[in-house]
Parts: sequence; C-alpha cells; structure tokens
Amino acid sequence: MSAIDPIPLVSFADLIVGLSLGSRLFLIAVGLSLIFGVLGVLNFAHGGLYMIGAYLTLLVVSIGSGNFWLGVVVAALGVGVLGVALEILTLRPLEGRLENDTDQLLVTFGAVLIIHEGVRTIFGSQSYTLSPPTYLDYSIVLQSGQIGVYRLVVIGFALAVMLGLWLFITRTYFGSLVRGTASDREMAGMLGVNVRRLYTGVFFLGSVLAGLGGALSAPLQSTSPALGDQIIIDAFIVVVIGGLGSISGAFVGAMFIGLAQSLGPQFISSGSIAIPFLAMVLVLLFRPRGLFGGVAE
Amino acid sequence: MSTVLRTQDLRREFGDVVAVDGVSLTFDDGEITSIIGPNGAGKTTFYNLLTGVLSPTAGTIEITSDGEYTDITEEPAHVIAQKGLTRSYQITNIFERLTVRENLAIARISHLGRTMDISSAAMTDADITARFDELLEMTELTPFADQRCDELSHGQKRNVEIALALAIEPSILLMDEPTAGMNPTEVRAVVDLIRELDANLETCFVVTEHNMDVVTDISDRIVVLDQGAVLADGTPSEVLEDDAVTSAYLGEMGADGHIGGIS
Amino acid sequence: MSSESSVSNSVRHVMSEVQAGWTPHRYGVLLFAFLLAAGMGPRFQVFLLTEFMIVALFALGFNLLFGYTGLLSFGHGMFYAGGAYGLAIVLKEVGPAIEAYLGAGISGGVSLLIGAIVGMLLVIIIAVPVGWLSVRMEQIYFALITLAFGMLVYSTIIQNPLDLTNGTDGIVILLGSVNIAGLEVRFGARRTFYYLTLTIFGLLTFGMYRVINSPFGMVCQAIRESPARIGAIGVDVRRHRWAAFIISAVFVGIAGVLRAGLAGVASPELSHWSTSAIAVIATVIGGASFFAGPIIGAFVFLYLRWAISRVPTLEAYWEFFFGLLIIGTVLYFKAGATGGLLALRRWASAFLKARAQTGGERE
Repeated sequence: MSAIDPIPLVSFADLIVGLSLGSRLFLIAVGLSLIFGVLGVLNFAHGGLYMIGAYLTLLVVSIGSGNFWLGVVVAALGVGVLGVALEILTLRPLEGRLENDTDQLLVTFGAVLIIHEGVRTIFGSQSYTLSPPTYLDYSIVLQSGQIGVYRLVVIGFALAVMLGLWLFITRTYFGSLVRGTASDREMAGMLGVNVRRLYTGVFFLGSVLAGLGGALSAPLQSTSPALGDQIIIDAFIVVVIGGLGSISGAFVGAMFIGLAQSLGPQFISSGSIAIPFLAMVLVLLFRPRGLFGGVAE
Repeated sequence: MSTVLRTQDLRREFGDVVAVDGVSLTFDDGEITSIIGPNGAGKTTFYNLLTGVLSPTAGTIEITSDGEYTDITEEPAHVIAQKGLTRSYQITNIFERLTVRENLAIARISHLGRTMDISSAAMTDADITARFDELLEMTELTPFADQRCDELSHGQKRNVEIALALAIEPSILLMDEPTAGMNPTEVRAVVDLIRELDANLETCFVVTEHNMDVVTDISDRIVVLDQGAVLADGTPSEVLEDDAVTSAYLGEMGADGHIGGIS
Repeated sequence: MSSESSVSNSVRHVMSEVQAGWTPHRYGVLLFAFLLAAGMGPRFQVFLLTEFMIVALFALGFNLLFGYTGLLSFGHGMFYAGGAYGLAIVLKEVGPAIEAYLGAGISGGVSLLIGAIVGMLLVIIIAVPVGWLSVRMEQIYFALITLAFGMLVYSTIIQNPLDLTNGTDGIVILLGSVNIAGLEVRFGARRTFYYLTLTIFGLLTFGMYRVINSPFGMVCQAIRESPARIGAIGVDVRRHRWAAFIISAVFVGIAGVLRAGLAGVASPELSHWSTSAIAVIATVIGGASFFAGPIIGAFVFLYLRWAISRVPTLEAYWEFFFGLLIIGTVLYFKAGATGGLLALRRWASAFLKARAQTGGERE
C-alpha cells in the first residue's frame, strides 16, 4: 500500500507518531485534569499510576493467557482501585484543606516515591518492551515512511474516550455532579451532594484512565521504573496548557505536546525539549486558567 | 479637628449593580463614626474601595498627610496603608502562628519602613519595640505578649487584631463589625477599649456595626447607608430621629437591639 | 547602628543563649564542635558529612522560601546547577589563564574564589527575572511555574549553549591547590574540602539565622501567615517575596558551588526537578517550621539512606521509607524530625525530673 503525502513539510508518518504520543498523554492528562478540576488536587502520583498500568499489562501478557486486551482491562481496573486506595490513605486526611494547598503536592509526591520503589522492587530496574497484539502488529507503508497500525488504534481509543467522557459528563447524573462540584465545591456540599463519594468516584475515573493510558502505551514505549517520572511532567504541562478540568483542553494540550515532541526536532535542530516547558511558563503567566479553563467544555 | 479622609462622589458598579452610589463623606481626626445600614447597603464595598482592594468606577478618595490632601483613589493597598489608612477585620486576620509581640513587631517594621533590613535582630531592636508596652497595655494584652496567637481566646485575638492595626499609627482606622459574634461581656470589653483608644489617640475611628446599642454608645457621628447611598449623616440623636432612616430600616430592629441581619 | 556592631551583638546573644541551658543555640554550637572534630575521622564519613553539610545548605536556602515565606518551589535545582556550572565554567575556561598569570602558588585558590563568585552571579542573573515572574503566582501555581523554569534551565544546559556546558555529560571539575608557606593545600583533598565546606556551612547557617530573625525575616513569616493582612499593613508582598526568592537562590547557589567541588563534576541533573525534590524531602522530613529543620532533615536524608544501604535486604528501599516519612509527616506530624527530637527532649527532662523527685524525699 502506498499513498501520497498530504502534508508536504512533515511526513504523515511523523504526524501519526505525534498524535499517538498525544493520545497516550491525553489519557493520563484528562484524568489528572478532572481530579484537579473537581478535587482541587494536582496528583503528583498520576504518572506512577500510569506506569503501574503499563506494568500490569505486561504482567498479564507474560503470565496467563497472554491476551493483550485482558491485560488492558486488568490494568485499567487495577489502577482504578489503587487510585482509590491512594486517595483514601493520603488525601482524605487532608480533608478541608485540600484546595490549593501545597500539602497535597507533598503528600502525592510521597506516594510517587513509594510507587517508584514498589515498582522497582517487584519488577526490577530493567526496561521491558512489549509487542502489540499480532493482528495489529503491522504497518501501512507510505512514500514517506511507515505507520504502525497499532498507533492508529491508540489514537482511535483517545478519540473514543474523549467522546465517551464528554457524553458522560454532559449526559449523566454523575457527570452533572462533577460539573457542579467543579464550579463550586462548597455549594455542592451544601446542596447535599455526597462530596466525599464524588471525590472518590472522580479519583477512580481519573485513575482508570491513567491505567488505560499506561496499558495502551506498553507496546509503544519501553516500560521501566523511570516511566512515571517522565510522564508526569508532560501530564502537568498538558493540564496547565489545556486548563484544569477541561476535557477538550486536555485533548488539545496533549496533541500539542505530542506533536511538539515528535515534530519539534525536525523544525528546531536542538532545544525542542524546551518547547513544552516554555509553553507551560507562558500559559501560567498569561492564561493561568489554561487555554480552555472549566469543566467539560 | 481636621479632616483626615474625604471621598467625593465615590461610585462602584458591578455590572448592573451599583454597590456604592455617589458617596461623599469626610472624616475628621479624633472622631468615632459609625456606619450603619442593612446588609447589602454597600458598607463592605465602601471599605474595600477605601483600602484599595477595589478601584472605584468613579469618584475620588483623598487622605491628608502633612496638612495636604493626597489622592489615593488608584493606589495599591499597601501604599494606602503606608499613607495612614488601615482596617481591622471582622473575622480575625492576624498572624496566627506568631506571638503577640511578633505580630506587633511586624506592624512596627512596616511602619518604620524597615522591611528590607536583614542585618538587625527584629525582636530586640529598640525602635521596633518602642511602642510595644504602650500598645499591649492599651489592648490589655500584656500578660499574653509572648503567647502564640493561635493559642489565644477569640476576644484576645480581637484585641490583637486591633493592636496590629494601631501599631502602624494610622490616621484613620476602619473597623469591620468589631463586636460580631460576641456575647454581652465581650461586647462591653470592646466598647470600653474603643472608648479608651479614642481618648488616648488622635486616630479617627470608623466602625461598621449592626449592634445599635454599641453604635449609640460610642459614636460621635452616625452615617446611614442604604443601597449604596448616604441616607443620613449626623449626630446619633439627629440620625435616630430622622424619619427617613426609621422608615427605611430601623423598624426592623428587634428587641435585642440588633438590626435585621447578622447579630 | 553599624552592621559590625550588630554582628557582634548577635554573637553575644548566641553565646548567652548557649550558656543559658539546653537551648537550640547550644545544640547548634555543639553540632559545630562535633563537625570540627569529625573532620579527623574515617575518610568515608568525612565525605558523607561534607555531603550532609551541602544538602543542609541547599535545604536551608530552600526553606527560607518554603517554611518561612510559604512558597513551595520545585525548581530550586536551577540555582544548585547555577552555582555548580559557574564554578565549572570558570575553572575550565578561565582557570588556565589565571594559572598562567598568577603562577601555580595561589592560582588554585583564586580560581576557586572567582568560580564561586561567578556561580553566585549566575544564580542572581537567573533568580531575578525568574523570581519576579514566579511570585505573581500563588501556591500550587508557584510550584508549577518554578518546576517549569527549573526544567527550562535543564533543557538549556543540555543544549550546550555557547559550547559552555558540554551538554549531557557535564563538566569535570578539578580543584586546584594553593601554596601556603611551602605547604601545598589541595582543595580536592577530602579533609581540606571538608573544612572548607564546614567554614562556609558555619558562616551561612549563622547568616541565615540572622536573616530569619531580622525585620526582613519576620515580614517573610507574616506573609506566610496572612498575605492579605500584611498587605493591608503596608507591605508590598510581591516585592518582598521576590527578595526572599533571590536570597534563597543565592544560598542554594553557594551550596551548588560546593556540590560541584565535592562531586568533581557539574551535571545537568542538578537542575532537574528530581534534584529540587531533595531539598523538599529533607526539609519536610526535618520539619519546615523550625530553623534547624532543614539541617536535621538533611542529616536524616543522608544517613538514613546510608544506613539502609548497609542492610543488604533493605538496600533498595530507601525511597519507600522516605515516601512514607513524607506522607506521615505532612499528614500526622507536621513538626517533622525536629519536632520529634524536641518531644523526646521534653519527655527526657520530664522523666529525669520525676526520677529525681522519687529519688529524693517523698512529699
């Protein structure tokens, strides 16, 4: 199969790589963004949760039936549960002083250390790679390069998740609780919303998404204990740029960072790794609410 | 008696809502003025305009320094404080984890303009501690001077609140509902305190209050605000007999001397 | 009041506090005496103690901003790197010229001094604009923007700008030596460097002590407690935070110079947020609300890690312990290790008193 490159400056293949990078980032960032929007907590440990998602997938694939999608499901749910445990153990005790308090950063950072160590102990320091399921493990060949079909699947997942989340937030009762609480926490509490359970629910959702992101990423990157630290910074940047609590913002931000990372080196010979940080600084200075501030916009 | 502060046609809009509507008032030194009015009359907004937290939509605010009027309408909060206008808060807003003495020290440091001084020892500095004893005594805090403020009672914290404001030697002090949430004994104590401060200092006191007993007790002058405008301005007897004032809202006064609203 | 007389006043005050009983001042002086003696001990311990003092300085500088002014920075590594690279670049680029000009006798010391000064200047050049921009942000956003700036500096260093920083490999540092009356003093020698570090540690700790207790330091604490109130009292909060930021950065920069000297290399990782996190961990565990918190925290950080590494089965688990310690401290025991020590002291003195009473006459 071959096709003519639609975009002259960048190859379609590179574009896909950037979008698949962005898709993985979206999955972890949107969960982080929702948690920040509703709980007011910037969960430092979210990268660790993503990483555990990847490891759980690896585990399921290497033992047992070897079914990748089973691994994905186990990872997503497993990380969801872990996230809830994290929330109950570290954030609940901070109840009442959650919003905008640096304690939550410190506490979730403590969790980062624990997760990092835990992963290293159980799985060791080496990096693992995983191939995509065999029926997806081929590429479409273009004039300019190859496009891994699995990457297209990941991008598809991101779009599906975004649509699903949007529907969930705008059409369901839980979603309306999320929107309401995100815009006014105190009011929500006074109106009888069980804020505690809502928090846990949102944390569960955010963690599931992170686990899903990690699971889907396993075939695309090498998994090692350093993964959590690497991805959390990117996730922070996406959340800042896109706006806290904004799903579409997380999507746009994630794609921007993904594309910057894959295409950047082509345009700027060196220094492209600085682009995301520069963007983060600029957004914080000029539009601290992000480009899309607000929930489910 | 000379004028310390004056506002001219002060106006503040929030979209369609006019919170402060053409308020022109003057405040003289040594005088205690109470500002009363129903909730929503614009008292808080008026205070926020004066202290520089909000900027007015129109109008001017001027404070006297060295006999001349200085326009402080657009100045930031900390500059206004340096020029002699400060406030105390309804919900005590003091430096909780520091001692009373340290709280006073900070006010003195600011007043003396020595915030960037890194070479002296603050708590033993003669200039900084100069007025401590006086302030502590005036606010009856001498036995608690070295205690952390978060260990003090509500009433004591209220006194620190006031002492803090006085420590920068303001020419005008805006007090925001100083007796809010207090039982009669505590109210008595605050009233006595304000009376004594007024006797000993030249500071002009402006007090917003809901407790009419307190208002009639301490005020040399009462200003009534209603829907952002000045409804009445005069001595207590003049104002309290003014029909317009009575009909506007004093009729809501309950048996306990409080006007409808927060007691 | 000249600053000289106030320094001597300070010293006199410390001395009187030391004599007054088991005050923090006494502990401080004892620590210093201990460190003075320890320099003669086993070589590895000397190394570890040097590292301790450097991390303690890093944390101390960080805590001026965090514990005292209430601003959590996750980017202070950029100043650690600034000091380190200042020294490294001077030694690499200008060192040979200095040696040629001044001869081998004193050029080692001069290079070191110039390197340290350049390091400080570099730090100030970074801190002034970064601080000015960052103090516009509150709380979490301040943490985020400082993290971003730190990583920006990191990416810049890796870029090898102007061919100065040697990219990801970093710059190797060779400290020179001076010739004092026929005796060659090699700065790179463990004990020599230890005592150099100890001197600076002592001076800077005393300096920070004075800053904390100065009018400036008191205002910092007020800002932490209530920025709104301190503003209403007449203080320009932003400007003050900016100043605290710069002073904090300079302290960390000097620590960075020492770090480079000890490690023998200036590497980009110093500016990475994970390095900034070291100051955070040490300070929080030690107890951010105490002056000695960062110092004790640095001690715990280094020695607990070392102790754990000695037990083969536990070796890799130090992060786990520290993660738990941080969570435990923030959630349940804000006073940290220093608070624990104080509680221990109170219990000990109460215990001793009770023993003395029962040992004596019954009442």
